[in-house]
Amino acid sequence: MARTLAMFTDVSLCIGCRACQVACKQWNQLAPEEPEWTGSYQNHAHFTDKTYRLVRFFEETDAKGQMKQWHMMSDVCKHCAQAGCLEACPTGAIYRTEYGTVNINQDICNGCRYCVSACPFGVVAFNHDTGTATKCTFCNDRIHNGLGPACAKACPTESIRFGFRDELAGKAKQRVEELKKLGYKDAQLYGEDTNGALGGLNAFFLLLGKPSIYGLPDKPKLPQRNVIADSLLSIGSALLVGLGALVAFRSRDDKGGA
Amino acid sequence: MGPGLLKSADWPLLIDLYFFLGGLAGGAFVIATIASLLDARRYRDIVRMGYYIAFLAIIPGPILLIVDLGVPTRFLHMMMVSKPSLEIGMSALTVGPFHLKLLSPMSAGAWALLGFSVCAFLVALDVFLEDRGGRSMRILRLVAGVIGGFFGFFLAAYPGVLLGATARPLFISAHWLGALFLVVGASSGGAAIALILSLLGGQARESLSRLMRFTAFALVLQLAALVLFIIAVQMSGSTGIAQALAKLLAGPYSLTFWLGAVVVGIVVPLALQLGGGIKKAAPGMTALASALILIGGFLVKYVIIAAGQAT
Repeated sequence: MARTLAMFTDVSLCIGCRACQVACKQWNQLAPEEPEWTGSYQNHAHFTDKTYRLVRFFEETDAKGQMKQWHMMSDVCKHCAQAGCLEACPTGAIYRTEYGTVNINQDICNGCRYCVSACPFGVVAFNHDTGTATKCTFCNDRIHNGLGPACAKACPTESIRFGFRDELAGKAKQRVEELKKLGYKDAQLYGEDTNGALGGLNAFFLLLGKPSIYGLPDKPKLPQRNVIADSLLSIGSALLVGLGALVAFRSRDDKGGA
Repeated sequence: MGPGLLKSADWPLLIDLYFFLGGLAGGAFVIATIASLLDARRYRDIVRMGYYIAFLAIIPGPILLIVDLGVPTRFLHMMMVSKPSLEIGMSALTVGPFHLKLLSPMSAGAWALLGFSVCAFLVALDVFLEDRGGRSMRILRLVAGVIGGFFGFFLAAYPGVLLGATARPLFISAHWLGALFLVVGASSGGAAIALILSLLGGQARESLSRLMRFTAFALVLQLAALVLFIIAVQMSGSTGIAQALAKLLAGPYSLTFWLGAVVVGIVVPLALQLGGGIKKAAPGMTALASALILIGGFLVKYVIIAAGQAT
């Protein structure tokens, strides 16, 4: 495998301009959608089959419900090292590239939609026109030609950076220290740790507060981790059912078991 | 994360119906196999009917699944592709164009459906030929019956394991869905055999009453699995998960859950059994109880999937 590529999104630099969202739409030729009025600047409410990059807006309130801080975060597929969508996919359409990113082969996907419900971040979306699942590819065509993803290229504040994962991780850690010195006590990285949840995210983030402020799960879990335990419980219940049937149909009281 | 950020596969009623029929087929097949291993002659009616029902109930399965796909013509990709990618998951096994992903219940389930269908067809054909006056091929019946029985258990349970391996809040900490779906398969398989036998009439009442005793036992397991499922979800502690559970127990799905899945599907049939109506194997009573178990068996799967997929 080639050196892992990654994307680092620093929310402390994000100004919410949505250039990334537009650049993503343009490069990937994603059709326009009806706006959804969410009560904030955020549009759309969720990732869709035509929105792979989404700037989320969050209003953090204090205990009294008063506005405390306004957060912006440009969200994207995390290309998890242990990806729920990839492990779920029954067709092998979802695969890992030599750069460690996760893609959906549109010629293989048959539209079962298991990946849609298996993504811990609600990223994968079903395209009703093609009948297949779609999501961000880190601009697979661009990165294979040394261009970097469209969103990172378009970002005017370098809030979105793209490069080799190990280099970006070093820069990200430095940036957290800088911000802490400047008084942002809760600055933290999300998904940078390759020993952490999901084996690390290949799109990781610098957040200015707890992940839950940004709608992210504190400890995302690979859904397939459940398969072994759930299967063992099923086998246990199968044994009980089998035993029950043996007892119920046992010939004990007539004809000597004829 | 607010559960609102997660997406749902939005599997429709077709899939619920497949899960129900697959479980029923698996349950009926297992019952027929165990009964025939213990005393094939005495339980002849149960064995015949169990194998016929298993075969007939699984026929719509692949059709329902294929119709639901976004690109139905690619249904074979569940098992094979002409140029498989190399990196398709940590649990992937590939042989030539074929692939199986052990940690993807949908992948394993597709193979189990194929294996079960082959066994169900062979055994049903053997029963049919025997009914027409031919001789049963004992070895075939035994081998296909036992192998198909394992596939039958798998077929009944895997949809629950599959749901548990999604990120949906109601399912991800549930752990008991596979066990629940398996015992629902057993109770609905037993009820389907009992319903048809009691409607046809003329069978040995004693064996029918044994079948109903087994079905009542499966219902008790069903109730236990349901309780354990709710406790496991409740204990996971996250607010998103608690909200998802509230939808099932107190929200828009609560009436279907309590009245349909619990009262109609479990409590009333069990009460009929305990009241002695089934012990004497009165055909009308048995048919009524069996029909209720079947309705409840569908509703319990339907309502859990609907509540879990609702956003």
